[in-house]
Amino acid sequence: MELTDAGLVARVLVDDDQHAFGELVRRHQSSVRGLLRQLTRGDFALADDLAQDAFVRAYKNIRGFRGEAKFSTWLYRIAYNCFREDARRRKELVGINEEQWQAERDPQTVDPGLRHDLMHALSLLPLHERSAVLLCCQNGLSHDEAARVLEIPLGTVKTNVLRGREKLKKTLAVWAQ
Amino acid sequence: MNEPIEQDWLDRKLQEAAPYIEDDGFTARVLQQLPVPRQAGRFLRPFILVGMSAFASALTYVLSDGGRFILVEMFRLTTIPTLWVVAFALASGMLVMAGGIFAAMSKSNQIQS
Repeated sequence: MELTDAGLVARVLVDDDQHAFGELVRRHQSSVRGLLRQLTRGDFALADDLAQDAFVRAYKNIRGFRGEAKFSTWLYRIAYNCFREDARRRKELVGINEEQWQAERDPQTVDPGLRHDLMHALSLLPLHERSAVLLCCQNGLSHDEAARVLEIPLGTVKTNVLRGREKLKKTLAVWAQ
Repeated sequence: MNEPIEQDWLDRKLQEAAPYIEDDGFTARVLQQLPVPRQAGRFLRPFILVGMSAFASALTYVLSDGGRFILVEMFRLTTIPTLWVVAFALASGMLVMAGGIFAAMSKSNQIQS
């Protein structure tokens, strides 16, 4: 039987079981790396470095995980903090890597043109709106969970999601028809 | 508080536009970066505790003139009424049991979380 995230965390806590932590990384690497790739506007190398840093921090601070939120929410929060610290260090976020976006597209599920426009429109959103939209609309977090990840008030998250979605809808109006 | 996010065309497209990212050695790289597990320290811990206790006992024995105070205290114990000894044993037992229950509860909470 497959262990739940909580069961794997317990193994890490009690036995320092790095295999259990490896399973947690395998389960969540795609969503964490995906989130960071979009926050960094397509800088895959930077996103993967940040994701690696986030998982190592999660391991070192796993005793701080109290189980009040889902493990994935806790991870997103660490990943977002890694991103924020790095962005502060760099002052300016990197530009969009169009070639890599194109290379990673999935033509079977989304029209490549739509995907390109969607990612481009996302990258044009201000960081606070982009983060809120990515967490809530793409990664399926509730407003409350997103507020915990971003460490901002619930009302602000709702406003940011609403504004971000409106902007995206306006930009992508032609695809919605 | 935890209201579901409205699912519409935009949300669906956003989710579809985020394909699964293959691991491609990412997990292995993360595991290489992790600090060494504290298994060795954990293994040594009981030996360190026993060693320290033995050392402290030996030191006490030497500093207390060959442990003469133990004989004195033993003699004093024999003069204590039996009821007091039983009460003391009961209280000690309950104290140890309370400690054990507290440790078990905190461990169980840790595992559940």
